[in-house]
Amino acid sequence: MGPLDDQVVRADSLTATPDGLDVAVYSHWYRALPLPSLARVDLTVDGDRIDPSALDVTVNGHRYGFAELAGKGDEYWFTTDPVVLHVPVDSAPGREHRVQLLLGLSIPYILTGPDRVPLVAPSATDKTLIAAGA
Amino acid sequence: MTDTAPGLPRLGTTLFSLSLEQRKPGRDFASLVDEVAARDLGPGLEMVAFQSLRGWPRLSDDAVREVRGVIDASGLTPSCLAINNDLGLYPGRLLSDDESYEYVAVQVRGAAALGFPVTRVGVETSPAILERLLPLAEDLGVKIGVEIHAPLTIEAPPVAALKELFTRLDTEWLGFIPDMSSSMRAVPDAVDDAHRAAGISPELTALTKELWAEPGPTMAKFPELERRAAEAGATPPQVGNLKMLFTMHGKMAPERWADFFPHVVHVHGKFYGIVDGQDPSIDWPVVARVLREQNYTGFISSEYEAHAYSDRYNAFDQIRAQHDMLKRLLEAEPAVVG
Repeated sequence: MGPLDDQVVRADSLTATPDGLDVAVYSHWYRALPLPSLARVDLTVDGDRIDPSALDVTVNGHRYGFAELAGKGDEYWFTTDPVVLHVPVDSAPGREHRVQLLLGLSIPYILTGPDRVPLVAPSATDKTLIAAGA
Repeated sequence: MTDTAPGLPRLGTTLFSLSLEQRKPGRDFASLVDEVAARDLGPGLEMVAFQSLRGWPRLSDDAVREVRGVIDASGLTPSCLAINNDLGLYPGRLLSDDESYEYVAVQVRGAAALGFPVTRVGVETSPAILERLLPLAEDLGVKIGVEIHAPLTIEAPPVAALKELFTRLDTEWLGFIPDMSSSMRAVPDAVDDAHRAAGISPELTALTKELWAEPGPTMAKFPELERRAAEAGATPPQVGNLKMLFTMHGKMAPERWADFFPHVVHVHGKFYGIVDGQDPSIDWPVVARVLREQNYTGFISSEYEAHAYSDRYNAFDQIRAQHDMLKRLLEAEPAVVG
């Protein structure tokens, strides 16, 4: 909830590539977070739910499988940088896609409840955008 | 700079206030620092290390030189570096005490390298870890302050444990950082914008504000809020947003900040908007009186946080208005010479 929600997926976030669709995602949290904080990426493209295990993620110039992020606690997603989700769906420059994303960021210093579980800060996006060429 | 008279608290700004400004095209660290200085919003400069400093917590020597160069050139004075103890770094477990100590110690060393005299940690940093950090803090000449932020108040058990620790150790190197979010007199109106965007009806927002304002401990009001919001048709995520208002805005009497002395090492001048020279949601006349009576001469970092709810207001203008108000309040009576 807040003004940064609208910037998670921006008007120029979609790029069609030979492998599929790249989605540039910006953080709705105010500070850099360690990569395991990218805890929940519920992504639907054109009505099709994307299994997170099918996603690759590029951050700081490195490309990881989504599951690898959980072990990358010594690397950070900086405040103003995008991460790029590589989505295995057909696309082409100029094609329109509906992108629905529920991004859940695990906030590692805000512990909640008797079990001291990190807060998960959600941000929901539902936008229809045109993919640019790679 | 908005200098206050000698013997009074000094003013300043945390770059956290500029969280939305930071995202604008063409903005970088230097341009934010330079504009704080150009608008006379010092002399103190605070920042959240993980927010402002690319590469934190392990800055290269070149990066340290560059950051110090920007701050030196601005004429601002480093006041506090907010650091984080990311206990929940990895899924399914918390950092061990040894890991937590190392995670914070690296950052205290980083703060020293950048020339900051105080670091801020959260209450998740346990008394045992703080006691272990004390020799490092003394050695580096960097104070470590635990931020007291809503929903914490003087009555919260972790706060009592910290007070006991600071009293027992009798040290100037560990202490509290009061944040005015713990002692508010009203929920800020800026939340209306965020609630509108989240599809929460004005009636639900008004209901939450009314419940918040009623007497009694906030924690005891959660069940009634959940019940009445659900009856009014709120969805579970919307109820979560409403509950967040209870968590983010504490109701401790501002006079109680006196009880945190003499262990206060820095102050967060939290605010959500100045209207006609007054702060509708934080009783700054009382807070200023307490700080003056306690002979506090450290920094008050202006921490504008309505950007979490609304992008309607200019953060620089808001800080200007708060500084003018604080200077007026602090200088309203002759400083107490202790």
